[in-house]
Amino acid sequence: MAEASLQGKLIEFKGASLAVMTAHLRETEATRLADAMHMMLGGMPDFFAGEPAILDFAQLTSTPDRVDWTAIISLLRRYQVQPIGVRNLPDYLHDGARRANLAILGAESLSAERPVAPPPAAAPAPAPAPAPAPAPATVASPAVAANDSAAPQPGPQTLVVERPLRSGQQVYAKGGDLVLLGGMSPGSEVIADGCIHCYGPLRGRALAGARGDTSARIFSTHFGPELVSIAGVYRTFERGIPQSVAGRHAQVRLSGSDTQLTLEILPLQGD
Amino acid sequence: MARVIVVTSGKGGVGKTTTSASISSGLALRGFKTAVIDFDVGLRNLDLIMGCERRVVYDLINVVNGEANLNQALIKDKHCENLFILPASQTRDKDALSEEGVEKVLKELEHMGFDYVICDSPAGIEKGAVMALTFADEAIVVTNPEVSSVRDSDRILGILQSKSRRAIEGREPVKEHLMVTRYSPKRVEEGEMLSYKDVQELLRVPLIGVIPESDDVLQASNQGTPAIHLKDSDVATAYQDVVARFLDEDRPLRFVAYEKPGILKRLFGGK
Repeated sequence: MAEASLQGKLIEFKGASLAVMTAHLRETEATRLADAMHMMLGGMPDFFAGEPAILDFAQLTSTPDRVDWTAIISLLRRYQVQPIGVRNLPDYLHDGARRANLAILGAESLSAERPVAPPPAAAPAPAPAPAPAPAPATVASPAVAANDSAAPQPGPQTLVVERPLRSGQQVYAKGGDLVLLGGMSPGSEVIADGCIHCYGPLRGRALAGARGDTSARIFSTHFGPELVSIAGVYRTFERGIPQSVAGRHAQVRLSGSDTQLTLEILPLQGD
Repeated sequence: MARVIVVTSGKGGVGKTTTSASISSGLALRGFKTAVIDFDVGLRNLDLIMGCERRVVYDLINVVNGEANLNQALIKDKHCENLFILPASQTRDKDALSEEGVEKVLKELEHMGFDYVICDSPAGIEKGAVMALTFADEAIVVTNPEVSSVRDSDRILGILQSKSRRAIEGREPVKEHLMVTRYSPKRVEEGEMLSYKDVQELLRVPLIGVIPESDDVLQASNQGTPAIHLKDSDVATAYQDVVARFLDEDRPLRFVAYEKPGILKRLFGGK
């Protein structure tokens, strides 16, 4: 009986908005891109876990006569990036992209993207195969956020997570702050466009200012992360968390000309 | 209402099946009508631990596929009046499990008047493990006092929070219990092992018990007798304590302090 009522709508089309990663390509030569990807992600072929991406060519350094789309797509697929469309591509290259089943998107198609910020500064701490700091608009796509995430759908305001965040879970506070009331375990990841406030152990990866807000900060009552990042400037703790802040109330902020991460104790009253 | 309890861990070899066997036996000894289901399709073990491997005719997959009914497949335990075992299939794999099939089996057990259904989860975070925890009301997370086991338990806790029916339907979350097994106070004392306090601090889940490392467990497995039935064994006492705590009785933690053997004991040996 339920079948009869559904007969009329075996398929439905609805509008939906999607947080999506953009990949800014400054080069179209697949071999050089492959080298760059290998440098960036050598040890982590599944880093992107099937995330969809839009390829943006606004920053192309040279204009190629033709583009080997098959090579570029298979390269990205190897790192589990799913290219779904292109934008800011010179008109004469559109036909090729279409033939490669990529959607041609206008600049207005991505409403949420901000002006392109400078590329992320190098990590202050040396790391052999560092995770790429998320460039502006490199946000958690639903594909990744859905990965065992107990998080509610990202809303525009502050997102409060009451339970401990477990290894493998990921939460993204879109457009606002993220408050963690139960702390986070190693192997979990939190991303916020604003600040991250963690009441409890901060043990996973915490990325604040994901869309380039350099005034974002990370606050924690028990500092011990695997990685912290603010507006793309990141730091890992291969040699351990500095004694001065390990396990204590601490904050992370950008200082200098927004290129240095500062870790410091929070002077809390009544402590 | 039948209460569904999943015994899970993420990591293999930590003592899930031993725990499932002992807790289900303990509940049955207390007079509750209890079923224990082996979800490790393809790597059937529970029947060995329970000592009923020679009586397996039909299994969980037969029931799921409608090739046998539950009454035919349930094996009556040889030690406890109220305990029934539903073995896994050894010749199939986890793909033979379906959510509808498992739900049907659990519903039927409820109709048959079972008080508790213990689901013995396979290791890993793939289909078999997810099927075992999907319908859980409570979860006993079995962890060994070492970091990789703790990390995996953390991961499975995250999956409980996102993939269990209770989580998906937004009902009261699955009640979590932490159980530390293969605990050696001596090795903790010597700094070779995490203490149960460390484990609890890392996972932030209420502790339901600590089971000491003991040769008795291996012996019990070989005999096909759940460890809780052993006479004069710390392991049996510890499992009885766990069952008592599960039923909201107050029991102090035992077997967690290390006592240096006295000179006589060292000279003359003995347990």
